[in-house]
Amino acid sequence: MENDRTRCVITGLGMISAIGGNVEECWNNAINAVSGIDHTKTVDTENCYSDYSAEVRDDTPWSLPGTQGMDRASKLCIKAVAEAMNDSGLTDFGGSERAGVIMGSCVGGVVSVEEYYTKGKKAELIPQMPIAAIASQAAGYCHAGGVVTNVANACAAGTISISYASDLIRTGRADVVIAGGADSFASVPYAGFTSLHALDANPCSPFNHLSGITLGEGAGAVIVESYEHAKARGAKIYCEVLGSGVSSDAHHITAPRPDGEGQMNAIRDAIKNSGITEADIDYVNAHGTGTAKNDEAEFLSLHTIFDGKNDDLSVSSTKAMTGHCLGAAGAVEAVLAIKALCENIVPPTVGFSEDDLTLLAERAGKLDFCPNVPRKKELHTVMSNSFAFGGNNASIVFGKKIGSVKMRDERPRIGITGMGIVTPAGNGVQNYVEDFVPGTPAAAADLCSSVGKDDYDALGLKMAFYRKLDRFSQLQAVSGMEALQDGGFTITDDNATDIGIIVGTSEGALSPVCDFEMLIAEKGNANGSAFKFPNTVYNAAGGYLSICSGIKGYNVTATNGAQSGLFSAAYAMSVIRLGREKAMLATGTDENDDIIRELYGTLGYAADKPVEPYSGSDSFILSDGSTTLLLEDETAAKDRGARIYAYAKGCGSAHRNVEFGKLSGSDEALDRAIAEAVADAGITAADIGAVVGFADGCKAVDDIELGALKRVFGGRLAELPVLSVKERLGEGRAASAALGAAHAALMLHGDIPEDSAYFLGGDGKMARKTVKSGELDNILALSFGAGGSYCALVIGR
Amino acid sequence: MADNEMKAKLKDFICSTLGVEADVLEYDTELFGDSSIGLDSVDSLEIISYVDGEFGVDMTGVDKENFLSIDTIAAYITANK
Repeated sequence: MENDRTRCVITGLGMISAIGGNVEECWNNAINAVSGIDHTKTVDTENCYSDYSAEVRDDTPWSLPGTQGMDRASKLCIKAVAEAMNDSGLTDFGGSERAGVIMGSCVGGVVSVEEYYTKGKKAELIPQMPIAAIASQAAGYCHAGGVVTNVANACAAGTISISYASDLIRTGRADVVIAGGADSFASVPYAGFTSLHALDANPCSPFNHLSGITLGEGAGAVIVESYEHAKARGAKIYCEVLGSGVSSDAHHITAPRPDGEGQMNAIRDAIKNSGITEADIDYVNAHGTGTAKNDEAEFLSLHTIFDGKNDDLSVSSTKAMTGHCLGAAGAVEAVLAIKALCENIVPPTVGFSEDDLTLLAERAGKLDFCPNVPRKKELHTVMSNSFAFGGNNASIVFGKKIGSVKMRDERPRIGITGMGIVTPAGNGVQNYVEDFVPGTPAAAADLCSSVGKDDYDALGLKMAFYRKLDRFSQLQAVSGMEALQDGGFTITDDNATDIGIIVGTSEGALSPVCDFEMLIAEKGNANGSAFKFPNTVYNAAGGYLSICSGIKGYNVTATNGAQSGLFSAAYAMSVIRLGREKAMLATGTDENDDIIRELYGTLGYAADKPVEPYSGSDSFILSDGSTTLLLEDETAAKDRGARIYAYAKGCGSAHRNVEFGKLSGSDEALDRAIAEAVADAGITAADIGAVVGFADGCKAVDDIELGALKRVFGGRLAELPVLSVKERLGEGRAASAALGAAHAALMLHGDIPEDSAYFLGGDGKMARKTVKSGELDNILALSFGAGGSYCALVIGR
Repeated sequence: MADNEMKAKLKDFICSTLGVEADVLEYDTELFGDSSIGLDSVDSLEIISYVDGEFGVDMTGVDKENFLSIDTIAAYITANK
């Protein structure tokens, strides 16, 4: 029997797609086999071989109060969130730290990107471009004050977000989380899939003609809640959230493994983590995109797992009606799977002719793909699967009955056993340590990291692999591989599924997205680049890292501002604490190039001369890089004789919504993030010996940090060293956030024996003084995210 | 167009667009599969698009052996102009 701590339930549903503006409309159309696929109206299809798509027809998202100026994806998201909140009997979280928002997306604010490059470069469009805006704005709508982030794992993002939401509840970090996903149909994905010849010239036909996908759009949102919380407020309960599985293929950036190994790892983990067997699954809402590569791998996976163990399994792909909603797909399909479970009706896979049915019978065996018509059937347990670009796979199980979700009882200590550092000052831990001179100011007002052939050769990366990587992915591949090498961690067939990756990034692949948009704005949607398009998905970097390292475990790209570089470590800690993996790479990566420089410059944040932290400027040194930490269950680390730099002892995340792109007014959330991290580490603020701050010289940022430190540490501040990695290396956003944690670990381990710290004097002025690393036991690393998200991490001996 | 000029253009394209380092790419170097260049189906789409735009020859759906190397791509273009 599952105990109450692990019991998560769904208490509200929201959905918008081409087949309806709300859950009821979508559901009724789904079980009546009504497809939303039609000729495209909102995107230019000139000279393109396929003009089919599944566009949202409902126009209520475009006039929702409070969403003016937001990207189309955020409006779709908030429409679904509003419905789910209302359905669940929730009105507003009032800033509660126990309420979170996890939203999946693949292409994020591409409509704003398109408008920026085709209709005049308006500055107000820039904050709407990154995926990070979506969850932050959704949290602003419902005033959630806890963990807020986006999962940017392309077509698996929606499913992963629900999985992660339930993990947050099971690890005690939230009572209620709105999870889901949102994506718009727009020129970038349309031209991209056109360039890959991955679109069906006709409406897509999953598990049937296998000639390609049809793009859709929409959003799905579910209220995931602890059973205790739902019971206490008398909420209606749709179903239980049982186990889930997340894996990576380590195979190819766009194509799934033909042998289905990664898909099957995710599905088997979901079944195992639910405490059920294959025979218990009554219905699978399949990924079923309609491409030959996906559907053939999926036929193989389903047959391999279920044949002989479950002779009455229904399977359908609802994408034949909704189109492929990319980062929203897993979310809208979870809603449909939950409705199926509650209504005891399996929605059909539409699009089969009489001849098609003959072929299906051969391919399907005993699996019932519910061709063309729904099937009434008593459902007890359903599964929803999503498989993505980058080789990411996710599977989740919902049930009417309490399952037997297992959680590890003891909480492991988590060691930092390796790190990879790519900064504008050079690459590698050894270089970072040797090059480090306390108190060195930045060399220039604009800084860029550099990776090249020497790095690839040293890491054993071949040209046939790295030639495909965009710069963001290159930075990530080098720091990730360095972390494994530094940690002496060799990936083998035996341990490949015991280690995972959390990539943290603020802007992610925004630069490749803008580059691709500029290309199609000039040459038309028929002339996108098949080479460039795969790198526009934010999780490409994590996918490439999986491919070159061989890592086959958990793989998520989390994005919510600069703090994502610390948040990745917090996320990785929860993955290890739940026993999902023994080791995790947690990264922070962001790039600075001509495109990013223009965007930050247009917003007025890119300095034109070097800026020091706490100098009261209105801009910062734009920089970039990548830092990867290898986090490891202490027992596993000791078993393999690993060196432990320091321990990741506790983490905290909080959100106080302000307009996305701004920070002022969100101060109290940083106080809460610090308090949570300190409590999670089992210490008090008095035990913190130093802080790695996030001040970058921009007054609005620095004031928030100093304000929180004054409130948390009071009179101790005059003696509490505040360290900075940005003084020398600039504002590398997620890269700086992760570097702060690495810097702390290197001090605690003695590799960096001393640093020049800032001290806030009673006169309000910052003084400088040398701090000896040997005097420190616990260091608090802090980071911020535009829109009011904060993360704090306690690193200790 | 002289054969060598065509091959030089193809090489330039493969290096500048597909990230291949020039010093390892000769006109007879194997392009696809487990070769050191390692082009795949996504790269072939880019080559087809470039050849169509630059030389006016449609290579959509042609046999794999025509994509073996810069030499074979150039030979196909010459034969089908």
